[in-house]
Order: sequence, then C-alpha cells, then structure tokens
Amino acid sequence: MRYHRLPTMVAVTALTLTARPSIGQDLSDVDEIVQRANLATYYAGDDGRAGVRMTITDAQGRERIRQFAILRRDVADGGDQDYALLFSRPADVRNTVFLVTKHVGADDDRWLYLPSLDLVRRIAAGDRRTSFVGSHFVYEDVSGRGVEEDTHELVETTDAFYVVQNTPIDAGSVEFSSWTVWIDKDTFLPIKVEYVDEGGEVYRRIEALQVAEFGGHPTVTTMQVSDLRSGGTTVSEVRDVEYDLGIPESVFTERTLRSPPRQWFSVR
Amino acid sequence: MIGVRRPWRWIAPVLVVWPVVAAGQEPVEIHGFGEAAVAGRFLENPVIADDFALAEARFRLDVSHFTDFAELSFKGDLIADDVIGDVEIDIRQAVITMHLSQWLDVRAGRQVLTWGTGDLVFLNDLFPKDFVSFFVGRDDEFLKAPSNSVKFSVYPRPASLDVVWTPVFTPDRYITGVRLSYFDASVPGLVSAESMGQPLTAALPPRTLGNGEFAGRLYRTFGGYELALYGHVGFTKRPLAFDPTLDTATFARLGAYGASVRGAVAGGIGNAEGSYYDSWDDRSGTDPNVPNSEVRGLLGYERELLANFTLGLQYYLQWTLGYDQLIANSPAPQFEPDELRHTFTLRTTYRFRRETMILSLFAFVSPSDRDTHLRPSFTYAWSDAVRLDLGANIMAGNESGFFGQLEESSNIYGRLRYSY
Repeated sequence: MRYHRLPTMVAVTALTLTARPSIGQDLSDVDEIVQRANLATYYAGDDGRAGVRMTITDAQGRERIRQFAILRRDVADGGDQDYALLFSRPADVRNTVFLVTKHVGADDDRWLYLPSLDLVRRIAAGDRRTSFVGSHFVYEDVSGRGVEEDTHELVETTDAFYVVQNTPIDAGSVEFSSWTVWIDKDTFLPIKVEYVDEGGEVYRRIEALQVAEFGGHPTVTTMQVSDLRSGGTTVSEVRDVEYDLGIPESVFTERTLRSPPRQWFSVR
Repeated sequence: MIGVRRPWRWIAPVLVVWPVVAAGQEPVEIHGFGEAAVAGRFLENPVIADDFALAEARFRLDVSHFTDFAELSFKGDLIADDVIGDVEIDIRQAVITMHLSQWLDVRAGRQVLTWGTGDLVFLNDLFPKDFVSFFVGRDDEFLKAPSNSVKFSVYPRPASLDVVWTPVFTPDRYITGVRLSYFDASVPGLVSAESMGQPLTAALPPRTLGNGEFAGRLYRTFGGYELALYGHVGFTKRPLAFDPTLDTATFARLGAYGASVRGAVAGGIGNAEGSYYDSWDDRSGTDPNVPNSEVRGLLGYERELLANFTLGLQYYLQWTLGYDQLIANSPAPQFEPDELRHTFTLRTTYRFRRETMILSLFAFVSPSDRDTHLRPSFTYAWSDAVRLDLGANIMAGNESGFFGQLEESSNIYGRLRYSY
C-alpha cells in the first residue's frame, strides 16, 4: 500500500476509524476503498464463469462481434489468477482458446491455441494498455490493473459514490496522466471510469450500464467503453454468470488449450 | 490429396449420416469460408510457362457436434483449381475426440498435428507439412497437412504424455515441380513437372504395420517454463533418399529424439529446442543415397518492442554428422550443403486500426546456404466475415539452396475470404 498522497496523520487516523466500518458509515481510507473495489470487480467468489459478448462499433458505425466463454480461478484473493477464454464468434476465431496466468506485480503468462494449425503459441507479455481482441477495452480492463501501480486520492464522497483519482507511479508506462473512478458505496463496483490525458481532457470513459447479483456477488452485466477521440464504442454484455463452481486448477493447462472441456465452458 | 477420384465416398457419409445422427440432440455447428486466391510469379521461370502459382476458389465446410462424451469434427475443402485445371477435395479434419476419463483423451481420425517451440521452423514436429502451399501464398494454416492418426493424451499428475500413431506413413506435401520449380543436382539445374514430363514421384514405404509412424511428447510446466521431451520413429518426411533398384526417390528410415524449453525471458518469450535425427540406414554417413544423421538446434526470442509491434528472432542450426564420409561418397559434392547450416529468422508484426490491419514480415536468411526467403504480408479485416490478404513470397540466392532454388518461383499473392 502506498500513501504518497496522504499525510501520514490522516492515513493513520483513517485506518483506526475504518478498521471495522459499520453499514452506512462512509469509509475514508482510500486504500481500503481501492482494495475492496479491486476484490469486488475482479475476485468475486473463488472462481467464476460467464458468457461474454462484445459489440465493437467504430466511428463509421460498423459493428464487429467478439463472443467467448470465460473461466476464472483465484489463486488468492487480490493475488494471482488463472483465466481461460474460449471464443465462439467471429467464425474465423471460433474455438481459439486464450489462457492467462495473471501474476500480481510481474508479467502475466499468456498462451493462445490456434485450432487450424493445432498450434499452442506462447505470447510475449505485451503492453497491457493495448486493445483486447480488437475491442476498445484494453487487457488491463479485463484482468485488472495492479492497485500498487497508482497512487490513490479520495477526491469526493457523494451519497452514492466514492470518487477516487488515480495517478500512475510510472507515468511512462501508460497513455493516461490520471484516471478517476466512481465506486458504488454499497457494492464497491466501479460505475464510471474516466481517463484523462496530459492536456487534462477526458478521452476515454467506461460505464457500468447494468448490475445484477449472482450468488450474492453484485456483478456488472453491461459495460460500455467509449473512445471519446475517435467516437468508437464497445459494449460488453455478460450472461450466465456463476460463481464458486469449484473449477479445478487442472482446467487451466495445455489440455484445455488443445481440447477445451465443454462441461466448464458450456454457457447457454 | 485424398479422395480426388471418388470424392462422394468422403462426402456422402458426412452430409447424410451426420445430421441424421445428430438430429434431436445437441445442435450441429456449421461454419466455413469461401475464398478466392491468386498468386503470380514475377520473375521469368525457364521451366514453367504458366505465370500463375495459384489460381483457385476454395469452399470450406466445417461441421462439429458435441455430445457429453465425444466431439465430432469435420473440415473439408472443395477447391476449383485453375493451375491444375481440376476440382479437388481436401479433407483437413474428420476426427472424433473422446474424453475417456479424468486422465485420458483419445483423438482418432484425420487431423492436423503440431508441437514444438519453433516459429515456422520444425525440429521435433515431424507431422506432415505442405511446403507447396507455404511458398505459393496460401494461408499459414495450410503449412500443416493432415494425417490419419490416433492421438492418445494421458494426464497423470507429474507430467502429461501424448502418443500419436499414424498407421500409414504420411509424407509432406513436398515440391514436385508443379507450381514450383526445384534444383536437381543430377541435371544439374532447375527442373519442373513441365520440363521433366511429369511431377516428381517418390516410392512410398510398403503399407505394412511396421512402416507406421509413432511420435511421443512428454511435457510439463514448471513455474511458467514449459519443458518437453520428444521422440519420433518413422521416415524422412520429404523424399531425401534414392532407391537405385527402383531408380526413384524415396523416404529413409528416421528416428528423431529431442527436447525443448520455453518461458519468459527479459520481458519476452525465449525458447530453445534440440533434436537428434538418427538416420537408421546410414549411421556411418557413407551411403550417398540415404541422408546422414543430423543434430538440429534452435534458439528463439520474441518480444513486444512497442505497443502492437512484436519482434521475433530465431537461430536455427542443422549439423550434418559424418560429413567427411558424405562428401567422400557424394556423386555431386559441390551441391551438398555445408556441414553446419545456419539459418536466421526474423518476424515483425504490427497491428493497427484496432487489429483490423496487420503488417507483417517474416524473413529466413541462411548465410551457409547463401539464400533467403522473405514473406511480407498485409491483412485487412474489412468486417468479421470479410478478410483481404496481400503478400509476397520472395526467394533468392544460391541455386542449389533450399530457398535459392525457388528464386524463379517468387510470387505475389492476394486472397479474399468470406467466413460464415
């Protein structure tokens, strides 16, 4: 945890006061807010499954679809995770499998299986700010940005939201100069995220358009990312969400790349 | 290609029986594509009059069906080929996959198989390749040719094991002089099917059980590093041997044993692979009609240098064992490759416009063969369904080198594909 933006006094006081927050009482420790938002967004349950459909619309209004089933398994809450994605659309990437071992604080391991060649490719840990499968989402939006990579400042607490401004510690590694997130005070889900460029202009926005609860875990089911410069958007719709299925560790191996187990990937 | 003479033998069961069997159960998924492709040679070829290396329309039918215990999958291409002047059928996959237990999968039928760590370089992967497709501008997918095989995948705790049995030896789809001319040391010079009066033919091993191929891979991942051991028992995949009694090219017995490792290195992916090619019928290296044993090694590194820009480099070594005996006995020692053959490869890929456009260059450069092969390409995904590919296969250098012999077959190509 970093307290760069907080005077030590305030931080210590905040920790003491919010160690056991009661319902209805606002948190004031920004690191606790950010940590809980990270857990609510990326670590619901011990594992999970969903069907995802991304509709990518460019500035000219042309649509592209990316549809896949996603499996996730947490090695530790807030820590490493395994992801497996099986694509069903478009036709030319059907049955392509993408496997990721997410390492907090280190490069992820990524594999891609190309069924037409029966080829398992190892993918170099790339820039996590590049497009995820051609959408307006970036890899980091999908698997999470390390909370330790930014300094956090609680700029406002409204009736519904904690508004947190995040500034990258390594400014050279990202294309934004800061990002601001509106975190729901009840669910700790980010409801709106805005990315600001060096000129102070908001150029990218992510909005949670729909939230539903599955197995006690509030989940964003419709999310839109807007590229405010080019005018393109991607809408991600999530369905058939299930948590705590007991997906074994062995599902996240080369066997799944070459022969994806239908019982785990089956989403309606 | 299989089934050219009686294509209905292949199509009928699939088209008729499958949907009937599947009716009322899980849905049958039907996909595929239609593609038009053309490649033109841009240099004067002294032995092939036709300027087109490729001029074809291809229709892919991809049918799959899943049940609780098995997956059925069929992929077949109908090709109207204007270079051959014929309609052909190429079954790329007709396979059943069964998950028999927690630790055993069986995949049986016609299938494409790949393993190993190289990028367009294969050491321990001795499954059939299609080098004709590779050099005439077809999609990369067609570099791998199918074989009729059974693959057993066993997943015990400590490591995983694949065993592949190919009962009938399946060679590469090698260069026969039809679309590509090649160097013949006995002429010596460039020849083609046209100049020879017929395509290169080779005598296949007799169809006995003993001439089937076995391949195995034992693999495991340790902390993000993938380790694998390989073995293959069969024949050379290209007709590198000569049978003096039949006066024809043929395939030599081969055992290949190797290992590989792949993992994260300095912000990228590094890989190393080695293989020992044991030429059973010429271990001493004295028989000029049978290729010598070899040691092959590969080192590779790939990294995303800038956002969306990836660079890959490889060094590939082929070391011919018993080289002095080879030269002493060769009828044409001046055309034998060097004892140590070095090949460097470079791959650059740049994705832009939200990955709808891809610019790529793959280059092979061999200082020892004194030849090169460049593969520039541009891909534009106009929509999810429509894709355009433009590119070139540029070969140059020493006339008897693997790439250099194809200099006069250098071509530019275009492909337009609609996927459904």
